[in-house]
Amino acid sequence: MTTLKTTITTRPQVFAVACIAASSLLLAAPFAAADEYDPSKQLNVTIAFGPGGGNDVLARTLIEILDKYDLYEGDIVATNRPGGSGAVGWGYIYSQQGNPHHISTTSGSFIATPLQADTPWDTLDFTHVALMAADDQVLVVNAESSINTFEEFVEYAQQEPLSVGGIGSVNNDFIVAQLLSVEAGYEYDYIPFNQQGELTTALLSNSIDAMVATPGSIIGLIEAGDFRALAFSAEQVPEALEGVPSFEELGVADAAVPMPRGLILPPNVSDEARQWWIDTITEVVETPEWQEYVKANFLTENVLLGDDFTGFLETSINNFRTILTETGAI
Amino acid sequence: MEIFDNLLMGLSIAITPINLMYLLIGASIGMMIGAIPGFGPSAGIAILLPLTFSMSPISAVMMLAAIYYGAMFGGTITAILLNTPGDSTTVASTFDGFPLAQRGRAGPALVMQACASFVGGTIGVILITLLAPIFSMVTRSFGPPEFFLLCVMGLLTLVALMSGNWILGLISALIGFALGTVGVDLETGHQRFTFGAVELIGGIHFIPVAIGLFGIGELFYAFYNGAHKSGSGGIIQYQNESRFWPTKQDLIDCKYTMPRNSILGFVIGIIPGAGATIASLMAYSLERSLSKNPEKFGMGEMRGLVAPESANNAASSGAMVPLLTLGIPGSASTAVLLAAFLMWGLRPGPLLMEQNPEFAWGLISSMYLGNMALLVLSVFAIPLFVYIIKAPYRILAPLVLVVCTLGTFSVNASIVETFIMLAAGIVGFYMKRLGFSPAAVVLALVLGPMAEESLRQTLLISRGSFDIFFIRQASVYILVFFAAIILGGAFLNSQRRRDKLKENTV
Repeated sequence: MTTLKTTITTRPQVFAVACIAASSLLLAAPFAAADEYDPSKQLNVTIAFGPGGGNDVLARTLIEILDKYDLYEGDIVATNRPGGSGAVGWGYIYSQQGNPHHISTTSGSFIATPLQADTPWDTLDFTHVALMAADDQVLVVNAESSINTFEEFVEYAQQEPLSVGGIGSVNNDFIVAQLLSVEAGYEYDYIPFNQQGELTTALLSNSIDAMVATPGSIIGLIEAGDFRALAFSAEQVPEALEGVPSFEELGVADAAVPMPRGLILPPNVSDEARQWWIDTITEVVETPEWQEYVKANFLTENVLLGDDFTGFLETSINNFRTILTETGAI
Repeated sequence: MEIFDNLLMGLSIAITPINLMYLLIGASIGMMIGAIPGFGPSAGIAILLPLTFSMSPISAVMMLAAIYYGAMFGGTITAILLNTPGDSTTVASTFDGFPLAQRGRAGPALVMQACASFVGGTIGVILITLLAPIFSMVTRSFGPPEFFLLCVMGLLTLVALMSGNWILGLISALIGFALGTVGVDLETGHQRFTFGAVELIGGIHFIPVAIGLFGIGELFYAFYNGAHKSGSGGIIQYQNESRFWPTKQDLIDCKYTMPRNSILGFVIGIIPGAGATIASLMAYSLERSLSKNPEKFGMGEMRGLVAPESANNAASSGAMVPLLTLGIPGSASTAVLLAAFLMWGLRPGPLLMEQNPEFAWGLISSMYLGNMALLVLSVFAIPLFVYIIKAPYRILAPLVLVVCTLGTFSVNASIVETFIMLAAGIVGFYMKRLGFSPAAVVLALVLGPMAEESLRQTLLISRGSFDIFFIRQASVYILVFFAAIILGGAFLNSQRRRDKLKENTV
């Protein structure tokens, strides 16, 4: 029931032609596959999380853009395969070795899950296409708090450890909170939560002293003056958070670990297919729809193509591994 | 009279033919989704979400919200007719709903639950309209310590469920707690009892267990009793066909039940987290402890069905309070709605109602209309459901099995969950035969992990000190309320015993 079909070729005859073309190509596959990518075949989009989450919205936005600008000729079928913090969905993509007609979108769990669980796949096994945007974090306190700036926050924390909340214990929120404490030099207690709602409520009720969150989830409370933003992890601070210093400005740039919103293909996909997708994503991120998506969800514009994306993932994995080994989580 | 101006403006937006159409579509889809075991409102909203991108945000949110509260109406239908709760919020409705149906009162039970849902939903919307900003204070004062106390209250209701057999009930609850420990430990990130299976990282979900223990277990039990050999109506004795409508006595019995549990449900529903589930349970045990004949509960007492139904529907309205006033999602369903708000370019938060009054008030007004539409839809749909149930058991049972299996599989497309459901079905059969309490298992499974997490969060915050429960104002209020309930319950009990004693001596 969670499968939705986006049909691009709606007219039956076009579809029939496409089918014939596809089947003839199948016959010629040994010769053709290595040379050219065939965007007329059905594209399978695997979403490793349930409907309605950040990863799902990203995948469906991408499909809409591919559809609207005719960037992909064939049918596009999106399937949610949630379970095991992405282990199930990306495990499925992993099983499609070499098949360039399967794609999937990534999130923080793409790095965290294989470190934490014994998954058959590893983050670096896949064919990395591009980082399309990044989900950055903001450090906030309740506006009733006497802490007004990041400097004050560090001062307070050095006198008496503060409690800082975030989502999960093997997750970007925790990594950022931990790196911040190391970089700025203070002690703190990390309080993990399962749901954003519970986390936000905990700060709102003054149960915790501060929290790390993505701006999209709490922007309304910041604008209304209920929460005070102290620091933002990316260099480029979104409009809605104007005046909030970036980690870089505060001298803690190394604490920034953005959540990757990117695109991957199964392992061992041909270079031609990878290049085709890199070119396509370059077009996708230029569209006004994509700009709007990035803005509406308070993401950070951050496009890294091909090997640059792989490099980005390697750095993130190292960050995660170092911290999680230190804290004993893995 | 600013509120009335706002409400009128909202109504003027909601009552356009196109918006009314979307509202009706949403309500019908919600009811259908609710009636399919396993298919909760959050899945329904999420699946339809991409279809709403081309609609105006107001039409879209009216439709999606209607799916949400519509599913609360529909979810009880299977709870009553098949003993299968579609969502954790309707577990409490099976306690007396199914016995009512078994006693041949399926029609009145369904009508009364529709009325209770309507009253609960409508009282909830009235409270949003008048007092949303005031009620948002509840959310603002609720942290992990308070949440833990609330979970404890929910767990205390287990006592009410175990009245039959203490030891078997306790063992059942412990099984539920044990199942709840499976998955990644939130604090340390370590895996607990997953045995390396990636499917278990996220824990054992409530839905497959509940459908198995209740629905499938009940099916097996009916087969065991030879229901398939009889001509018609295996599980349910539908003899009194003429009595489709509730009797006057039903209405008189429930005249206070609906409003008081609606208010209770609404207040609990405001709290992000377990809202509607805890609300329905507390309503059930509240009603049971207020009743003159608590022993009738669980045997097919109308008040035992009406109480959780008013509460869970009011709670679904209550969950809109933190969403609209603070931008905080209280449940899986409201989290999807929140994602939709962002997609439409709205900024959920305390300023939403000021900055987008048409949107907020359009939604609130549409909830009045939606609840009315659902009441009418229910009254039309109930005879249809009763008709289906009248089919011979040998035809009905395989259908139910197929629907339950499909429903469970489709939520996460997980074959592992489907097997968990079937295994739970076998366990459920034996539990029923041997007198264990499946209800205690699923409630412990839902509330156990929540209680564990909130207690550990609390103690992390307080650095191991239990004083935190007595320092925080909100915690103290809850503790006082707690004490009042327990003392009040004890007082009522002794009073009742004295009355009984008097009757016996006279």
